[in-house]
Amino acid sequence: MAKAIDAMEFPAKKNKIKTSTGEKIFTVFNYAFFTLLCLLMLYPFWHVLMQSLSSMEEALKGGVFLYPKGFNLDTYVSVFKNPQIYSGFGTTIFATVVGSVLGTLVTAMTAYPLSKTRLRGGKIIMVLVLFTMIFNAGMIPNYLLIRNLGLYDNRWALVLPMLVSAYNCIIMKSFFLSIPESLEESARIDGANDMRIFFSIILPLSKATIATILLFNAVMYWNDYFSTVLYIQATDKWSLQAVLRNMLTNTQQAMQAAGVNVRAQSNTNAVTIKAASIVVATVPILVVYPFVQKYFVKGVMIGGVKG
Amino acid sequence: MTTASTKPVKKPRSGGYWARLGKNLIRDKWLYLLLLPGLVFFFIFKYIPMYDLRIAFMDYNPFDPSKSQWVGFQQFTDLFTKPAFLKVFKNTIVISLWKMVIGFPIPIILALLMNEMRSIKFKKVSQTLLYLPYFISWVIMGGLIMNFLDPSTGIITAIIKAFTGQDMQVLTSKSAFVPMLVISDVYKGMGWGTIIYFAALSGVDPQLYEAASIDGAKRFKQLLHITIPAIMPTVIIMLILNCNNILNAGFDQIFMLYSAPVYDVADIIDTYVYRIGIKQTNYSFSTAAGMFKSVIALILIVSVNFAAKKSGNEGIW
Repeated sequence: MAKAIDAMEFPAKKNKIKTSTGEKIFTVFNYAFFTLLCLLMLYPFWHVLMQSLSSMEEALKGGVFLYPKGFNLDTYVSVFKNPQIYSGFGTTIFATVVGSVLGTLVTAMTAYPLSKTRLRGGKIIMVLVLFTMIFNAGMIPNYLLIRNLGLYDNRWALVLPMLVSAYNCIIMKSFFLSIPESLEESARIDGANDMRIFFSIILPLSKATIATILLFNAVMYWNDYFSTVLYIQATDKWSLQAVLRNMLTNTQQAMQAAGVNVRAQSNTNAVTIKAASIVVATVPILVVYPFVQKYFVKGVMIGGVKG
Repeated sequence: MTTASTKPVKKPRSGGYWARLGKNLIRDKWLYLLLLPGLVFFFIFKYIPMYDLRIAFMDYNPFDPSKSQWVGFQQFTDLFTKPAFLKVFKNTIVISLWKMVIGFPIPIILALLMNEMRSIKFKKVSQTLLYLPYFISWVIMGGLIMNFLDPSTGIITAIIKAFTGQDMQVLTSKSAFVPMLVISDVYKGMGWGTIIYFAALSGVDPQLYEAASIDGAKRFKQLLHITIPAIMPTVIIMLILNCNNILNAGFDQIFMLYSAPVYDVADIIDTYVYRIGIKQTNYSFSTAAGMFKSVIALILIVSVNFAAKKSGNEGIW
């Protein structure tokens, strides 16, 4: 107590402004360090973008690309001649939209009843759902399941196996638990049944949480490539990431897919084609990301609160 | 209800239980209906594959499953006597331990450093940029890595050459491949990794800092006595979750980047299961390998969680 009273004599503001030299050096270092780190996060994307806009000769020389050297768009012309890019976008958009919307809906529908303590068997079901989070059967049983279900080479195989995750169910459930019971009670008095309460009261109240789960699901579907490797053989049903992977790991494939005749005099080569493909697949994310980033942050904040 | 309760109880208790159960089921019929699609999903896509783990105890015949023979633990004894499996098991642990040793503390340090920044705007912008790689797929990251490590045009190749004078082909070099995996994994995940610690830091009462500075505690002392204790529970939970991942060395990343010359150091259980199972259609053996991995992960997470709770910390359930 005595100490606190002593401190009262010194205005607190003065205390804050007066920083030691050590702290000043630290602050300068800290800002410089993070500036550098941010540049490190951005440069790879900038590099491939500039490389893809450069001429073949310059791209083959390598080095740092801060701006396009020998600007031309030939590479993009050949990338967009590749029919696989379009089918890849088609499959990926299908899987992302259907998977994230359906998945989020089913997640909410599963989590809501489980948030009701009165529900008979709810606890057992919750344990069974949680168990899938800490134990999974692995690649081969999942592969055999898709084969047995007749979903092999079907785009739904990219959607269904990842539809609902136990983790999202927990997040959703802990959010539902925070909704006051009284809201539900008054709706019940007005004659609404549980189904109606869920769709017309609970869901509209949960927009923020639903948006978060929807976005995480969307990222998962957008970035998924291994489902295609496992379940899809027909190249015209491949997801964008799988198409891109094939172009990146297989130079010959990249050139042929882009319709580049190696003998013909063309201003494109494997380096620029690959760079341009990376750009084409990344741009949609870079465009959307700044606007939705806050929802991801919010999602982790919700998830951090244990349910 | 009232008339029923005034009557003397004639039926045995179980009858009353079943009657109540029936009534509850009818009362909550809409809730059960809501639950149905999710239950069907978990049953088909999670529990049927678990049931199918039985093929690890068979000599599975993919063309006519009914002709499969039960072989007991034969596949597992094969597994542990196969040098190839022991090698991928070792690789898995080595890679994920390196990723953990380097990748676990870095987000904590970054979060603490960022927490010291006063400029909200700068903080916001740098957070947005640091989180970005997390949302980029391993295919795109792999493409960037291949670009930067390209033997003739890659920037990093040029840098390595400038410093060591060597033409290092990282992606096919047994000595450099694993460090490359670790560095790129840390690069991709370190920014996003900070966010969970920010969640913990945002819960610290600012009055604590005020009180400490009035008492004459410098920033470093405040860090030591307020900030670090505040994030400790989160650190422990993250450590537990990391232990669960000890056998997940990063399939998406490795599958994108590895090639035959580096199988020796980069082949992990998951990639091995893929090649033996899907490519060579040796279903039973590869299922056994995958199951071994899942069981170890289960044992690990249950025991670490138990230990955390025993020692007075919060577990994950």
